[in-house]
Amino acid sequence: MIEVDENDLMRCPICGAVNIDKGNKNICRRCGSNIYKHRNFSTEKSWAYLITAIIMYIPANLYPILITNQFGQAEGSTILGGVVLLWEHGSYPIALVIFFASIMIPVLKFLILFYLLISVKYPLGNDKKVSKHKLYYMTEVIGPWSMIDVFVVAILAGLIHLSNISIVAGTAATAFAISVFFTLLAAHAFDERLIKEKL
Amino acid sequence: MKLENEDVLDRFVICHQCYTLHEEIPIKDGSHACCTGCGGILYRYDTRLVDHGLALSMTGLVFFVLANAFPLVEIELLGVGQFLTIPKTIFSLFASGFYIVGIICAFLIFIFPLMIFLINTLLFTLLKFRVGTKLSKELLVLLAYITPWSMSDIFLVSILVSLVKLIGYAQIHMGVAFWALMVFVLIDLYLVKYIHLSEIWMLRKRIILKEAIK
Repeated sequence: MIEVDENDLMRCPICGAVNIDKGNKNICRRCGSNIYKHRNFSTEKSWAYLITAIIMYIPANLYPILITNQFGQAEGSTILGGVVLLWEHGSYPIALVIFFASIMIPVLKFLILFYLLISVKYPLGNDKKVSKHKLYYMTEVIGPWSMIDVFVVAILAGLIHLSNISIVAGTAATAFAISVFFTLLAAHAFDERLIKEKL
Repeated sequence: MKLENEDVLDRFVICHQCYTLHEEIPIKDGSHACCTGCGGILYRYDTRLVDHGLALSMTGLVFFVLANAFPLVEIELLGVGQFLTIPKTIFSLFASGFYIVGIICAFLIFIFPLMIFLINTLLFTLLKFRVGTKLSKELLVLLAYITPWSMSDIFLVSILVSLVKLIGYAQIHMGVAFWALMVFVLIDLYLVKYIHLSEIWMLRKRIILKEAIK
């Protein structure tokens, strides 16, 4: 017989099995993987990824993401410029999709991860108005959708390369792809057990 | 809470959305159990999961090959026809010097979806013939690592978005691969997002127990 406190039970992030928290080194009894082994610096990894992502997000917005070569004239458009252009042309749904995918979702994700990372260190938002586990789950679900813009650029660049008109990707495409990549890593590196709402 | 040994913990399940602890109860075949806290699905019970999984992962592979071998869209711009396939999307990024984006895209829309379906086919075959319990464990762990990085569904939406951008400039014809990709994404959504990995773990445990009784 083992006596366990319910708060000591945790979920393996890999296979979802319920495990007993034994302190510093936890190996999942079902899949054998390490469960967040870096307990001494639990949030630092996530912080590092998040800051990298935010830094990469700056050039992603400043440089052109799409360069259109039309009859010898090169014209670049940034993420925000592309949204404005689409809005002016009257394709509101697509403008909204791009706006949500490349501006709203990344910024929202930065803010949520920021909030989560701060709130696990300092007593913040423990009044249970918004479930932090749900916030975290939401970032994991909506996060990948910001890749839409990168894929759109890749598709347009692959589709249109005539001698007169061609579209090539811009510097921002690289920066944006790296930014999204690092936000995803930051979300995965976040230790869900640090959220202690039930205490 | 008192437990006899660690294996009893298999009777419990923690909701992956809101982290509430639940005790598993037997449910009817084909139904699912929901979390009391957030309403998210905790687990399902499907006696024919092996057959369903094997059939779907093999179908998915066929459609994946179709989606990659044929053109996704064909456009006519200034009287010149152009077409696009998934490999061409990736190679054109490499050709224009965007190696990082090219590598990221190659993994997200080609390598990971292919790997997931190959692993699933192998996994369900192993479970079907009740062999290789060690290998099936490794495959399930690998699957958990790569599942969040497969983005075929997002790629499909991106195709639609970029086509809407092109409306008015060019004539657009949908290719065979577009419909194949659509079917592939539907199967991918069902197999990867709808069926939780923990259900396959539970299935694996049932099969091991059954073998042990024999």
